[in-house]
Amino acid sequence: MIAYATSIKYMLAGYALILIVLALYLVSLVIRWRNLKRDLRILKEIQKKSN
Amino acid sequence: MDRPQTTKPRPSPVARRPSSGFLNAIGAIVWKDLAAELRSRELLSAMLVFALLVILIFNFALELDPLTRRVATPGILWATFAFAGTLGLNRSMAVEKDRGCLDGLLLAPVDRSAIYFGKTISNLAFMLIVEVVVLPVYSVLYNTNLFNPGLIVVILLGSVGYVAVGTLLSSLAVQTRTRDVLLPILLFPVVIPILIAAVKASSGFLQGLALTEVMPYINLLIVYDVIFTAVAYMVFDYVVEE
Amino acid sequence: MKPQPIALKVLNVVSVLLFLAALSMVFLYAPLEATMNYVQKIFYFHIANAWVGMLGFIAAAVAGVVYLVRHDQKWDIVELAAVEISLVFFLIAILAGSIWARPTWGAYWTWEPRLTTAAILEMVYIAYLLLRQGIDDPDRRARFSAVYTLVGAISVPITFLSIRLFRTIHPVVIGTNSAASQGGFDMTSKMLATMFFALFTFSIIFANLFWHRIRLGQLAQQVEQLKLEEIQ
Repeated sequence: MIAYATSIKYMLAGYALILIVLALYLVSLVIRWRNLKRDLRILKEIQKKSN
Repeated sequence: MDRPQTTKPRPSPVARRPSSGFLNAIGAIVWKDLAAELRSRELLSAMLVFALLVILIFNFALELDPLTRRVATPGILWATFAFAGTLGLNRSMAVEKDRGCLDGLLLAPVDRSAIYFGKTISNLAFMLIVEVVVLPVYSVLYNTNLFNPGLIVVILLGSVGYVAVGTLLSSLAVQTRTRDVLLPILLFPVVIPILIAAVKASSGFLQGLALTEVMPYINLLIVYDVIFTAVAYMVFDYVVEE
Repeated sequence: MKPQPIALKVLNVVSVLLFLAALSMVFLYAPLEATMNYVQKIFYFHIANAWVGMLGFIAAAVAGVVYLVRHDQKWDIVELAAVEISLVFFLIAILAGSIWARPTWGAYWTWEPRLTTAAILEMVYIAYLLLRQGIDDPDRRARFSAVYTLVGAISVPITFLSIRLFRTIHPVVIGTNSAASQGGFDMTSKMLATMFFALFTFSIIFANLFWHRIRLGQLAQQVEQLKLEEIQ
Protein backbone atom coordinates (compact mmCIF):
# COMPACT_ATOMS: atom_id res chain seq x y z
CA MET A 1 0.00 0.00 0.00
CA ILE A 2 1.46 3.31 -1.05
CA ALA A 3 1.66 5.90 1.68
CA TYR A 4 -1.15 8.42 1.72
CA ALA A 5 1.11 11.46 1.56
CA THR A 6 3.21 10.17 -1.34
CA SER A 7 0.14 9.05 -3.18
CA ILE A 8 -1.65 12.38 -2.99
CA LYS A 9 1.54 14.24 -3.92
CA TYR A 10 2.04 12.25 -7.09
CA MET A 11 -1.63 12.36 -8.01
CA LEU A 12 -1.70 16.13 -7.75
CA ALA A 13 1.54 16.38 -9.71
CA GLY A 14 0.06 14.17 -12.40
CA TYR A 15 -3.14 16.13 -12.74
CA ALA A 16 -1.30 19.43 -12.61
CA LEU A 17 0.88 18.25 -15.47
CA ILE A 18 -2.10 17.13 -17.52
CA LEU A 19 -3.89 20.42 -17.03
CA ILE A 20 -0.81 22.54 -17.65
CA VAL A 21 0.16 20.84 -20.91
CA LEU A 22 -3.44 20.98 -22.14
CA ALA A 23 -3.59 24.65 -21.25
CA LEU A 24 -0.28 25.32 -22.99
CA TYR A 25 -1.58 23.69 -26.15
CA LEU A 26 -4.77 25.75 -26.07
CA VAL A 27 -2.73 28.91 -25.54
CA SER A 28 -0.50 28.01 -28.49
CA LEU A 29 -3.58 27.57 -30.67
CA VAL A 30 -4.89 30.98 -29.64
CA ILE A 31 -1.55 32.70 -30.18
CA ARG A 32 -1.06 31.12 -33.59
CA TRP A 33 -4.61 32.10 -34.56
CA ARG A 34 -4.04 35.71 -33.56
CA ASN A 35 -0.71 35.88 -35.41
CA LEU A 36 -2.24 34.48 -38.58
CA LYS A 37 -5.16 36.93 -38.37
CA ARG A 38 -2.69 39.76 -38.06
CA ASP A 39 -0.63 38.46 -41.00
CA LEU A 40 -3.81 38.19 -43.07
CA ARG A 41 -4.75 41.78 -42.30
CA ILE A 42 -1.27 43.05 -43.22
CA LEU A 43 -1.17 41.02 -46.43
CA LYS A 44 -4.60 42.27 -47.49
CA GLU A 45 -3.49 45.86 -46.93
CA ILE A 46 -0.36 45.29 -49.00
CA GLN A 47 -2.50 43.74 -51.71
CA LYS A 48 -4.84 46.73 -51.71
CA LYS A 49 -1.93 49.14 -51.95
CA SER A 50 -0.29 47.35 -54.84
CA ASN A 51 -3.54 47.15 -56.81
CA MET B 1 -1.87 12.72 -102.54
CA ASP B 2 1.64 11.50 -103.06
CA ARG B 3 3.72 11.83 -99.98
CA PRO B 4 7.51 11.54 -100.22
CA GLN B 5 8.55 8.17 -98.91
CA THR B 6 10.18 8.46 -95.53
CA THR B 7 11.50 5.54 -93.61
CA LYS B 8 8.89 4.18 -91.28
CA PRO B 9 9.89 5.04 -87.68
CA ARG B 10 10.71 1.88 -85.82
CA PRO B 11 8.72 1.46 -82.62
CA SER B 12 10.98 2.08 -79.61
CA PRO B 13 12.17 -1.05 -77.86
CA VAL B 14 10.54 0.10 -74.66
CA ALA B 15 7.12 0.29 -76.25
CA ARG B 16 7.47 -3.07 -77.91
CA ARG B 17 8.64 -5.07 -74.87
CA PRO B 18 7.70 -3.11 -71.76
CA SER B 19 8.74 -5.72 -69.22
CA SER B 20 12.30 -6.07 -70.48
CA GLY B 21 12.49 -2.29 -70.81
CA PHE B 22 11.70 -2.06 -67.13
CA LEU B 23 14.40 -4.55 -66.19
CA ASN B 24 16.83 -2.90 -68.58
CA ALA B 25 16.22 0.43 -66.92
CA ILE B 26 16.87 -1.01 -63.48
CA GLY B 27 20.03 -2.69 -64.74
CA ALA B 28 21.19 0.52 -66.35
CA ILE B 29 20.77 2.51 -63.16
CA VAL B 30 22.54 -0.10 -61.04
CA TRP B 31 25.36 -0.35 -63.57
CA LYS B 32 25.71 3.44 -63.72
CA ASP B 33 26.03 3.70 -59.94
CA LEU B 34 28.44 0.80 -59.63
CA ALA B 35 30.60 1.96 -62.54
CA ALA B 36 30.73 5.51 -61.22
CA GLU B 37 31.67 4.24 -57.80
CA LEU B 38 34.34 1.96 -59.24
CA ARG B 39 35.99 4.98 -60.80
CA SER B 40 35.78 7.43 -57.94
CA ARG B 41 35.44 5.14 -54.91
CA GLU B 42 34.48 8.14 -52.82
CA LEU B 43 31.24 6.73 -51.47
CA LEU B 44 32.61 3.34 -50.45
CA SER B 45 35.76 4.72 -48.88
CA ALA B 46 33.73 7.20 -46.87
CA MET B 47 31.33 4.50 -45.66
CA LEU B 48 34.14 2.07 -44.81
CA VAL B 49 36.25 4.56 -42.91
CA PHE B 50 33.19 5.75 -41.05
CA ALA B 51 32.14 2.21 -40.13
CA LEU B 52 35.61 1.39 -38.81
CA LEU B 53 35.71 4.62 -36.83
CA VAL B 54 32.33 3.79 -35.28
CA ILE B 55 33.63 0.40 -34.19
CA LEU B 56 36.68 2.13 -32.72
CA ILE B 57 34.48 4.56 -30.80
CA PHE B 58 32.36 1.72 -29.46
CA ASN B 59 35.50 0.04 -28.21
CA PHE B 60 36.35 2.99 -25.99
CA ALA B 61 32.79 4.02 -25.25
CA LEU B 62 31.72 0.63 -23.95
CA GLU B 63 34.95 -0.74 -22.40
CA LEU B 64 33.63 -4.27 -22.20
CA ASP B 65 35.16 -7.46 -20.88
CA PRO B 66 35.33 -10.27 -23.46
CA LEU B 67 32.20 -12.02 -22.21
CA THR B 68 30.00 -8.92 -22.25
CA ARG B 69 31.45 -7.95 -25.59
CA ARG B 70 30.23 -11.21 -27.07
CA VAL B 71 26.73 -10.31 -25.94
CA ALA B 72 27.05 -6.75 -27.23
CA THR B 73 28.50 -7.69 -30.63
CA PRO B 74 25.21 -7.84 -32.60
CA GLY B 75 24.16 -4.46 -31.23
CA ILE B 76 27.48 -2.85 -32.07
CA LEU B 77 27.45 -4.33 -35.55
CA TRP B 78 23.96 -3.15 -36.35
CA ALA B 79 24.49 0.31 -34.90
CA THR B 80 27.56 0.58 -37.14
CA PHE B 81 25.64 -0.63 -40.19
CA ALA B 82 22.78 1.75 -39.50
CA PHE B 83 25.04 4.79 -39.24
CA ALA B 84 27.24 3.89 -42.21
CA GLY B 85 24.13 3.02 -44.19
CA THR B 86 22.74 6.50 -43.63
CA LEU B 87 25.94 7.98 -45.00
CA GLY B 88 25.67 5.88 -48.15
CA LEU B 89 21.99 6.63 -48.68
CA ASN B 90 22.54 10.35 -48.31
CA ARG B 91 25.48 10.54 -50.71
CA SER B 92 23.90 8.26 -53.27
CA MET B 93 20.79 10.43 -53.59
CA ALA B 94 22.62 13.74 -53.25
CA VAL B 95 24.92 12.87 -56.12
CA GLU B 96 21.87 12.02 -58.21
CA LYS B 97 20.21 15.33 -57.50
CA ASP B 98 23.29 17.53 -57.77
CA ARG B 99 24.48 16.18 -61.10
CA GLY B 100 20.97 16.47 -62.50
CA CYS B 101 20.85 12.74 -63.08
CA LEU B 102 17.52 12.54 -61.32
CA ASP B 103 15.89 14.88 -63.81
CA GLY B 104 17.47 12.96 -66.65
CA LEU B 105 16.15 9.70 -65.29
CA LEU B 106 12.71 11.20 -64.90
CA LEU B 107 12.64 12.24 -68.54
CA ALA B 108 13.39 8.72 -69.65
CA PRO B 109 10.34 6.73 -70.86
CA VAL B 110 10.42 4.20 -68.04
CA ASP B 111 8.20 3.45 -65.12
CA ARG B 112 9.24 5.63 -62.18
CA SER B 113 9.52 2.58 -59.96
CA ALA B 114 12.44 1.38 -62.09
CA ILE B 115 14.36 4.31 -60.69
CA TYR B 116 13.41 3.24 -57.20
CA PHE B 117 14.47 -0.36 -57.70
CA GLY B 118 17.66 0.64 -59.47
CA LYS B 119 18.72 3.00 -56.68
CA THR B 120 17.70 0.51 -54.01
CA ILE B 121 19.74 -2.27 -55.55
CA SER B 122 22.83 -0.11 -55.90
CA ASN B 123 22.41 1.22 -52.34
CA LEU B 124 22.07 -2.37 -51.18
CA ALA B 125 25.23 -3.31 -53.04
CA PHE B 126 27.21 -0.54 -51.32
CA MET B 127 25.85 -1.46 -47.92
CA LEU B 128 26.66 -5.14 -48.42
CA ILE B 129 30.20 -4.30 -49.53
CA VAL B 130 30.74 -2.33 -46.34
CA GLU B 131 29.32 -5.17 -44.25
CA VAL B 132 31.51 -7.70 -46.02
CA VAL B 133 34.56 -5.67 -45.02
CA VAL B 134 33.44 -4.89 -41.48
CA LEU B 135 32.75 -8.52 -40.52
CA PRO B 136 36.31 -9.87 -40.89
CA VAL B 137 37.80 -6.69 -39.41
CA TYR B 138 35.58 -7.01 -36.35
CA SER B 139 36.34 -10.72 -36.10
CA VAL B 140 40.06 -10.02 -36.03
CA LEU B 141 39.90 -7.03 -33.69
CA TYR B 142 37.79 -8.82 -31.10
CA ASN B 143 38.77 -12.41 -31.66
CA THR B 144 35.24 -13.61 -32.37
CA ASN B 145 34.23 -15.78 -35.25
CA LEU B 146 31.58 -13.94 -37.23
CA PHE B 147 31.56 -16.30 -40.21
CA ASN B 148 28.20 -17.75 -39.41
CA PRO B 149 25.80 -18.56 -42.28
CA GLY B 150 22.81 -17.58 -40.17
CA LEU B 151 24.40 -14.24 -39.44
CA ILE B 152 24.99 -13.68 -43.14
CA VAL B 153 21.31 -14.31 -43.84
CA VAL B 154 20.25 -11.88 -41.14
CA ILE B 155 22.60 -9.20 -42.46
CA LEU B 156 21.20 -9.69 -45.93
CA LEU B 157 17.56 -9.49 -44.85
CA GLY B 158 18.17 -6.57 -42.54
CA SER B 159 20.08 -4.61 -45.16
CA VAL B 160 17.34 -5.17 -47.74
CA GLY B 161 14.68 -3.72 -45.45
CA TYR B 162 16.90 -0.86 -44.33
CA VAL B 163 17.75 0.11 -47.88
CA ALA B 164 14.16 -0.31 -49.13
CA VAL B 165 12.86 2.29 -46.70
CA GLY B 166 16.07 4.31 -46.76
CA THR B 167 16.04 4.86 -50.51
CA LEU B 168 12.44 6.08 -50.39
CA LEU B 169 13.09 8.43 -47.49
CA SER B 170 16.37 9.71 -48.91
CA SER B 171 14.49 10.63 -52.09
CA LEU B 172 12.25 12.72 -49.84
CA ALA B 173 15.05 14.19 -47.77
CA VAL B 174 17.26 15.22 -50.69
CA GLN B 175 14.48 17.45 -52.00
CA THR B 176 14.12 19.44 -48.79
CA ARG B 177 16.13 22.35 -47.49
CA THR B 178 17.57 20.39 -44.58
CA ARG B 179 18.71 17.46 -46.76
CA ASP B 180 21.40 15.26 -45.16
CA VAL B 181 20.43 16.09 -41.62
CA LEU B 182 16.86 15.00 -42.18
CA LEU B 183 17.43 11.44 -43.36
CA PRO B 184 18.49 9.87 -40.04
CA ILE B 185 15.65 11.70 -38.28
CA LEU B 186 13.12 10.32 -40.74
CA LEU B 187 14.67 6.88 -41.06
CA PHE B 188 15.64 5.67 -37.60
CA PRO B 189 12.23 5.70 -35.86
CA VAL B 190 10.73 3.84 -38.77
CA VAL B 191 13.46 1.22 -39.12
CA ILE B 192 13.41 0.08 -35.48
CA PRO B 193 11.65 -3.26 -36.19
CA ILE B 194 14.60 -4.17 -38.42
CA LEU B 195 17.08 -3.27 -35.71
CA ILE B 196 15.18 -5.25 -33.08
CA ALA B 197 14.78 -8.32 -35.29
CA ALA B 198 18.28 -8.17 -36.78
CA VAL B 199 20.03 -7.78 -33.44
CA LYS B 200 17.99 -10.53 -31.83
CA ALA B 201 18.40 -12.91 -34.77
CA SER B 202 22.13 -12.17 -35.06
CA SER B 203 22.52 -12.77 -31.36
CA GLY B 204 20.59 -16.02 -31.64
CA PHE B 205 22.79 -17.33 -34.44
CA LEU B 206 26.04 -16.26 -32.81
CA GLN B 207 25.07 -17.91 -29.54
CA GLY B 208 24.02 -21.05 -31.38
CA LEU B 209 20.41 -20.96 -30.24
CA ALA B 210 17.89 -23.38 -31.72
CA LEU B 211 16.43 -22.31 -35.05
CA THR B 212 12.90 -22.25 -33.62
CA GLU B 213 13.93 -19.49 -31.24
CA VAL B 214 15.41 -17.36 -33.99
CA MET B 215 12.71 -17.93 -36.61
CA PRO B 216 10.19 -15.39 -35.23
CA TYR B 217 12.75 -12.65 -35.78
CA ILE B 218 13.64 -13.89 -39.26
CA ASN B 219 9.95 -13.91 -40.09
CA LEU B 220 9.64 -10.38 -38.80
CA LEU B 221 12.49 -9.29 -41.07
CA ILE B 222 10.95 -10.97 -44.09
CA VAL B 223 7.51 -9.49 -43.41
CA TYR B 224 9.00 -6.02 -42.94
CA ASP B 225 11.04 -6.31 -46.13
CA VAL B 226 8.06 -7.41 -48.20
CA ILE B 227 5.66 -4.82 -46.80
CA PHE B 228 7.99 -1.88 -47.16
CA THR B 229 9.33 -2.77 -50.58
CA ALA B 230 5.71 -2.96 -51.74
CA VAL B 231 4.78 0.32 -50.06
CA ALA B 232 7.85 2.13 -51.43
CA TYR B 233 7.13 0.80 -54.91
CA MET B 234 3.54 2.06 -54.78
CA VAL B 235 4.40 5.42 -53.36
CA PHE B 236 7.62 6.36 -55.17
CA ASP B 237 5.77 8.10 -58.00
CA TYR B 238 4.48 10.70 -55.56
CA VAL B 239 7.98 11.43 -54.40
CA VAL B 240 9.51 12.24 -57.74
CA GLU B 241 6.64 13.76 -59.67
CA GLU B 242 7.10 17.38 -60.57
CA MET C 1 -11.92 33.29 -42.32
CA LYS C 2 -15.45 32.40 -41.39
CA PRO C 3 -16.37 32.97 -37.74
CA GLN C 4 -17.00 29.94 -35.58
CA PRO C 5 -20.16 28.16 -36.64
CA ILE C 6 -22.77 27.66 -33.95
CA ALA C 7 -22.08 23.94 -33.80
CA LEU C 8 -18.48 24.64 -32.88
CA LYS C 9 -19.45 27.12 -30.19
CA VAL C 10 -21.83 24.59 -28.72
CA LEU C 11 -19.11 21.96 -28.87
CA ASN C 12 -16.74 24.28 -26.98
CA VAL C 13 -19.21 24.60 -24.14
CA VAL C 14 -20.04 20.89 -24.13
CA SER C 15 -16.33 20.00 -24.00
CA VAL C 16 -15.66 22.21 -21.03
CA LEU C 17 -18.71 20.91 -19.16
CA LEU C 18 -17.84 17.30 -19.86
CA PHE C 19 -14.26 17.92 -18.76
CA LEU C 20 -15.41 19.35 -15.45
CA ALA C 21 -17.85 16.48 -15.04
CA ALA C 22 -15.11 13.94 -15.69
CA LEU C 23 -12.86 15.61 -13.14
CA SER C 24 -15.64 15.47 -10.55
CA MET C 25 -16.25 11.82 -11.31
CA VAL C 26 -12.58 11.04 -10.82
CA PHE C 27 -12.29 12.83 -7.51
CA LEU C 28 -15.73 12.48 -6.01
CA TYR C 29 -17.30 9.35 -7.46
CA ALA C 30 -14.55 6.83 -8.18
CA PRO C 31 -13.51 4.82 -5.14
CA LEU C 32 -9.95 4.55 -3.84
CA GLU C 33 -7.94 1.67 -5.18
CA ALA C 34 -6.65 -0.83 -2.68
CA THR C 35 -2.90 -0.93 -3.30
CA MET C 36 -2.14 2.30 -5.11
CA ASN C 37 -4.29 4.70 -3.18
CA TYR C 38 -4.82 8.15 -4.66
CA VAL C 39 -2.18 8.01 -7.37
CA GLN C 40 -4.25 5.42 -9.25
CA LYS C 41 -6.69 8.20 -10.14
CA ILE C 42 -4.20 9.47 -12.71
CA PHE C 43 -5.03 6.33 -14.64
CA TYR C 44 -8.42 7.64 -15.83
CA PHE C 45 -7.05 10.66 -17.63
CA HIS C 46 -3.87 8.85 -18.66
CA ILE C 47 -5.91 6.26 -20.56
CA ALA C 48 -8.23 8.93 -22.00
CA ASN C 49 -5.29 10.94 -23.33
CA ALA C 50 -3.70 7.86 -24.87
CA TRP C 51 -7.06 7.11 -26.45
CA VAL C 52 -7.18 10.57 -28.05
CA GLY C 53 -3.63 10.02 -29.24
CA MET C 54 -4.79 6.84 -30.97
CA LEU C 55 -7.72 8.62 -32.58
CA GLY C 56 -5.33 11.23 -33.93
CA PHE C 57 -2.97 8.58 -35.21
CA ILE C 58 -5.72 6.81 -37.13
CA ALA C 59 -7.10 10.11 -38.45
CA ALA C 60 -3.65 11.10 -39.69
CA ALA C 61 -3.10 7.77 -41.43
CA VAL C 62 -6.49 7.94 -43.15
CA ALA C 63 -5.99 11.56 -44.16
CA GLY C 64 -2.59 10.72 -45.61
CA VAL C 65 -3.93 7.94 -47.78
CA VAL C 66 -6.90 10.02 -48.93
CA TYR C 67 -4.59 12.88 -49.84
CA LEU C 68 -2.42 10.63 -51.99
CA VAL C 69 -5.51 9.36 -53.75
CA ARG C 70 -7.42 12.62 -54.15
CA HIS C 71 -4.66 15.28 -54.18
CA ASP C 72 -7.02 17.65 -52.40
CA GLN C 73 -5.10 20.09 -50.21
CA LYS C 74 -7.72 20.07 -47.48
CA TRP C 75 -6.75 16.51 -46.54
CA ASP C 76 -3.24 17.76 -45.92
CA ILE C 77 -4.65 20.25 -43.42
CA VAL C 78 -6.60 17.45 -41.73
CA GLU C 79 -3.49 15.26 -41.60
CA LEU C 80 -1.34 17.95 -39.98
CA ALA C 81 -4.08 18.72 -37.43
CA ALA C 82 -4.39 15.04 -36.55
CA VAL C 83 -0.62 14.60 -36.16
CA GLU C 84 -0.29 17.64 -33.93
CA ILE C 85 -3.15 16.65 -31.64
CA SER C 86 -1.92 13.09 -31.44
CA LEU C 87 1.56 14.36 -30.58
CA VAL C 88 0.29 16.54 -27.73
CA PHE C 89 -2.06 13.97 -26.26
CA PHE C 90 0.37 11.08 -26.40
CA LEU C 91 2.89 13.38 -24.73
CA ILE C 92 0.46 14.04 -21.91
CA ALA C 93 -0.27 10.32 -21.65
CA ILE C 94 3.42 9.45 -21.45
CA LEU C 95 4.15 12.13 -18.85
CA ALA C 96 1.11 11.28 -16.72
CA GLY C 97 1.94 7.60 -17.01
CA SER C 98 5.50 8.27 -15.84
CA ILE C 99 4.27 10.12 -12.78
CA TRP C 100 1.91 7.25 -12.03
CA ALA C 101 4.70 4.75 -12.53
CA ARG C 102 7.16 6.34 -10.11
CA PRO C 103 5.42 5.57 -6.81
CA THR C 104 3.82 2.40 -8.18
CA TRP C 105 6.79 0.59 -9.70
CA GLY C 106 9.70 2.71 -8.49
CA ALA C 107 10.77 4.06 -11.88
CA TYR C 108 9.59 6.89 -14.09
CA TRP C 109 10.27 4.85 -17.19
CA THR C 110 10.07 1.19 -18.09
CA TRP C 111 10.93 -0.09 -21.52
CA GLU C 112 7.62 -1.85 -21.85
CA PRO C 113 6.04 -2.19 -25.31
CA ARG C 114 3.27 0.41 -25.14
CA LEU C 115 5.38 3.07 -23.51
CA THR C 116 8.35 2.51 -25.82
CA THR C 117 6.14 2.48 -28.91
CA ALA C 118 4.49 5.71 -27.78
CA ALA C 119 7.91 7.31 -27.45
CA ILE C 120 8.93 6.10 -30.90
CA LEU C 121 5.67 7.41 -32.32
CA GLU C 122 6.47 10.82 -30.84
CA MET C 123 9.82 10.69 -32.65
CA VAL C 124 8.02 9.90 -35.89
CA TYR C 125 5.73 12.89 -35.35
CA ILE C 126 8.63 15.19 -34.67
CA ALA C 127 10.38 13.91 -37.80
CA TYR C 128 7.13 14.62 -39.67
CA LEU C 129 7.06 18.21 -38.44
CA LEU C 130 10.74 18.71 -39.30
CA LEU C 131 10.09 17.32 -42.75
CA ARG C 132 7.31 19.84 -43.30
CA GLN C 133 9.49 22.64 -42.04
CA GLY C 134 12.08 21.86 -44.70
CA ILE C 135 9.76 22.21 -47.69
CA ASP C 136 8.39 25.50 -48.97
CA ASP C 137 6.29 24.35 -51.89
CA PRO C 138 2.80 23.50 -50.52
CA ASP C 139 2.08 20.76 -53.03
CA ARG C 140 5.40 18.97 -52.52
CA ARG C 141 5.08 19.41 -48.76
CA ALA C 142 1.65 17.80 -48.78
CA ARG C 143 2.81 14.89 -50.94
CA PHE C 144 5.93 14.18 -48.92
CA SER C 145 4.07 14.48 -45.62
CA ALA C 146 1.45 12.02 -46.80
CA VAL C 147 4.13 9.55 -47.89
CA TYR C 148 5.90 9.79 -44.54
CA THR C 149 2.60 9.47 -42.68
CA LEU C 150 1.93 6.26 -44.56
CA VAL C 151 5.40 4.89 -43.79
CA GLY C 152 5.03 5.81 -40.12
CA ALA C 153 1.48 4.48 -39.85
CA ILE C 154 2.62 1.06 -41.06
CA SER C 155 5.90 0.94 -39.23
CA VAL C 156 4.71 1.93 -35.75
CA PRO C 157 2.27 -0.97 -35.25
CA ILE C 158 4.98 -3.32 -36.52
CA THR C 159 7.35 -1.72 -34.01
CA PHE C 160 4.85 -2.37 -31.21
CA LEU C 161 4.56 -6.03 -32.19
CA SER C 162 8.35 -6.32 -32.49
CA ILE C 163 8.93 -4.97 -28.99
CA ARG C 164 6.23 -7.27 -27.63
CA LEU C 165 7.91 -10.21 -29.34
CA PHE C 166 11.20 -9.08 -27.85
CA ARG C 167 9.67 -8.91 -24.39
CA THR C 168 7.82 -12.22 -24.41
CA ILE C 169 10.86 -14.18 -25.46
CA HIS C 170 13.13 -12.18 -23.20
CA PRO C 171 11.15 -10.95 -20.23
CA VAL C 172 12.12 -7.70 -18.63
CA VAL C 173 14.95 -8.19 -16.18
CA ILE C 174 14.35 -4.93 -14.39
CA GLY C 175 11.02 -4.82 -12.66
CA THR C 176 8.78 -7.67 -11.63
CA ASN C 177 6.30 -9.63 -13.65
CA SER C 178 3.53 -9.20 -11.14
CA ALA C 179 0.21 -7.78 -12.11
CA ALA C 180 1.06 -4.51 -10.44
CA SER C 181 4.12 -4.06 -12.60
CA GLN C 182 2.07 -4.66 -15.70
CA GLY C 183 -0.19 -1.86 -14.56
CA GLY C 184 -3.04 -4.15 -13.78
CA PHE C 185 -5.49 -3.80 -10.97
CA ASP C 186 -9.02 -4.95 -10.45
CA MET C 187 -11.55 -2.33 -11.40
CA THR C 188 -14.86 -2.08 -9.69
CA SER C 189 -17.93 -1.03 -11.67
CA LYS C 190 -17.67 2.56 -10.42
CA MET C 191 -14.09 2.73 -11.65
CA LEU C 192 -15.10 1.32 -15.01
CA ALA C 193 -17.87 3.87 -15.31
CA THR C 194 -15.45 6.68 -14.53
CA MET C 195 -12.98 5.38 -17.06
CA PHE C 196 -15.54 5.10 -19.83
CA PHE C 197 -16.89 8.53 -19.06
CA ALA C 198 -13.35 9.92 -19.26
CA LEU C 199 -12.89 8.20 -22.63
CA PHE C 200 -16.15 9.67 -23.87
CA THR C 201 -15.25 13.16 -22.60
CA PHE C 202 -11.89 13.12 -24.25
CA SER C 203 -13.35 11.87 -27.52
CA ILE C 204 -15.54 14.98 -27.54
CA ILE C 205 -12.52 17.10 -26.63
CA PHE C 206 -10.62 15.48 -29.49
CA ALA C 207 -13.38 16.38 -31.97
CA ASN C 208 -13.47 19.91 -30.62
CA LEU C 209 -9.73 20.51 -30.82
CA PHE C 210 -9.55 18.77 -34.19
CA TRP C 211 -12.12 21.17 -35.61
CA HIS C 212 -10.29 24.19 -34.19
CA ARG C 213 -6.93 22.96 -35.44
CA ILE C 214 -8.33 22.38 -38.93
CA ARG C 215 -9.69 25.93 -38.95
CA LEU C 216 -6.26 27.15 -37.92
CA GLY C 217 -4.77 25.18 -40.79
CA GLN C 218 -7.22 26.69 -43.27
CA LEU C 219 -6.31 30.17 -42.07
CA ALA C 220 -2.62 29.32 -42.39
CA GLN C 221 -3.22 28.12 -45.93
CA GLN C 222 -4.96 31.37 -46.78
CA VAL C 223 -2.07 33.41 -45.41
CA GLU C 224 0.51 31.29 -47.19
CA GLN C 225 -1.30 31.62 -50.51
CA LEU C 226 -1.39 35.39 -50.16
CA LYS C 227 2.30 35.44 -49.30
CA LEU C 228 3.15 33.36 -52.36
CA GLU C 229 1.04 35.67 -54.53
CA GLU C 230 2.82 38.71 -53.17
CA ILE C 231 6.21 37.23 -53.90
CA GLN C 232 5.19 36.70 -57.51
